[in-house]
Amino acid sequence: MATSRSDLGAPDELSDRERRAVEAQLFRLADDEYVQAERYTFWQVRAPTLESDLAVANNAQDELGHARLWYDAIQQLGYSEESLLWESEPDDFQHSTLVELPFSEGEWGDAVLRGYLYDVAEEIRLAALEESTYREIRERTSRIQGEEDYHVEHAENWLRRMADDEEASRRVQAALDRLYPYALTLFEPVSDGQGDGDNGDVEQDIVDLGIRDATLAEMREEWETRTTAFLTDLGFEVPADAEPVTPTGRDNEHTQHWHDLHAEMVSSYRNLGRHEATTLMDDE
Amino acid sequence: MSSEPNGPDEFDRPRADADATPCGYTEYDTKERTTEEVPATGEGADGLEREVWAALYEVEDPEMPVSVVDLGLIYGLELDDGAATIDMTLTYSGCPAREIILEDVEQAAESVDGVDEAEVRLVWAPDWSLDLVTEQGKEALREFGISVER
Repeated sequence: MATSRSDLGAPDELSDRERRAVEAQLFRLADDEYVQAERYTFWQVRAPTLESDLAVANNAQDELGHARLWYDAIQQLGYSEESLLWESEPDDFQHSTLVELPFSEGEWGDAVLRGYLYDVAEEIRLAALEESTYREIRERTSRIQGEEDYHVEHAENWLRRMADDEEASRRVQAALDRLYPYALTLFEPVSDGQGDGDNGDVEQDIVDLGIRDATLAEMREEWETRTTAFLTDLGFEVPADAEPVTPTGRDNEHTQHWHDLHAEMVSSYRNLGRHEATTLMDDE
Repeated sequence: MSSEPNGPDEFDRPRADADATPCGYTEYDTKERTTEEVPATGEGADGLEREVWAALYEVEDPEMPVSVVDLGLIYGLELDDGAATIDMTLTYSGCPAREIILEDVEQAAESVDGVDEAEVRLVWAPDWSLDLVTEQGKEALREFGISVER
């Protein structure tokens, strides 16, 4: 896996081409984690046990922390927290549509399965970033992997228990049928921001420049193999020949659910008439 | 007590499992590190640098009465003509006290005569773990009630 490609250098040393590819990688990392965390909060007061409340709250805090690390790296490239989040528009975001779907009350199986599908993809993606030629990605990856360790384990434990119960496994199966095509959008190409509908180059650049050492197709294949083996073993039926739904999210197009969540997310900032994101220790 | 107490030789006192850790999801292992350069603790510093380290020692984690230096969070200190640059990491990426700690550290450095401005640079490599805590820090954590291996 070691690459002989040279290090891309500091944020202000990137060429236009390198910068475009670095940004394309960073935005999907940040937006996926951020929106996954926003949705997790639904379960903080609804999970079936106190321990699950805590586990979900902790997962959400982990993902928010990771989103912050990735948004920090994006801010080194000249963006502000305000423009990235509070003064953004819904179609600025490139997260997969899997993470923006709302939960229905009682569908704990959806939450567990979604966490599983997402976190396996996350593990595969982080592994492909370990040797990144961009230091700001490489160093954060190692830090985040340590904190992601137990997410998959938590989801797998729940899925094993649910597979033993008829009603629970029926619900997990229904969630699997529904969510699988959304999960596949995790491996779709991003829009390259050129607005010409040609997204091939930036995805190829991410791999050619050594920012990530696996292609989207390779990561998807590894994810399908791993999730299919585990879920099949528990008696679930993984949809065959599924294809990613559109919009994919990666192309800046989203379901109405994201537009609604985004409006909630920025409502306090807008209602308070804010023009900057303040922090606890501001002197002024 | 109806029965005689056991003599010291007979009493089968329960022993802790040597491999047990207080929480199954917290790593207490010492990691192999490729660098011995972190944390920085100011050992051997003199002059103005020593004074800045003394000020940093006064900054405690908002959630635990332990100095950020003893927690091993400071990775480096550079002084350049009245400007202090501090490389620092955090124990957890989702740390809600991030702004408070960074502000405290900058203010502490700036409180030293001869330092006009201080800036903290957050760094994430190498990973922070419990083995970066100094002996003094481990003692303080134990006193606070956190189990840290000796």
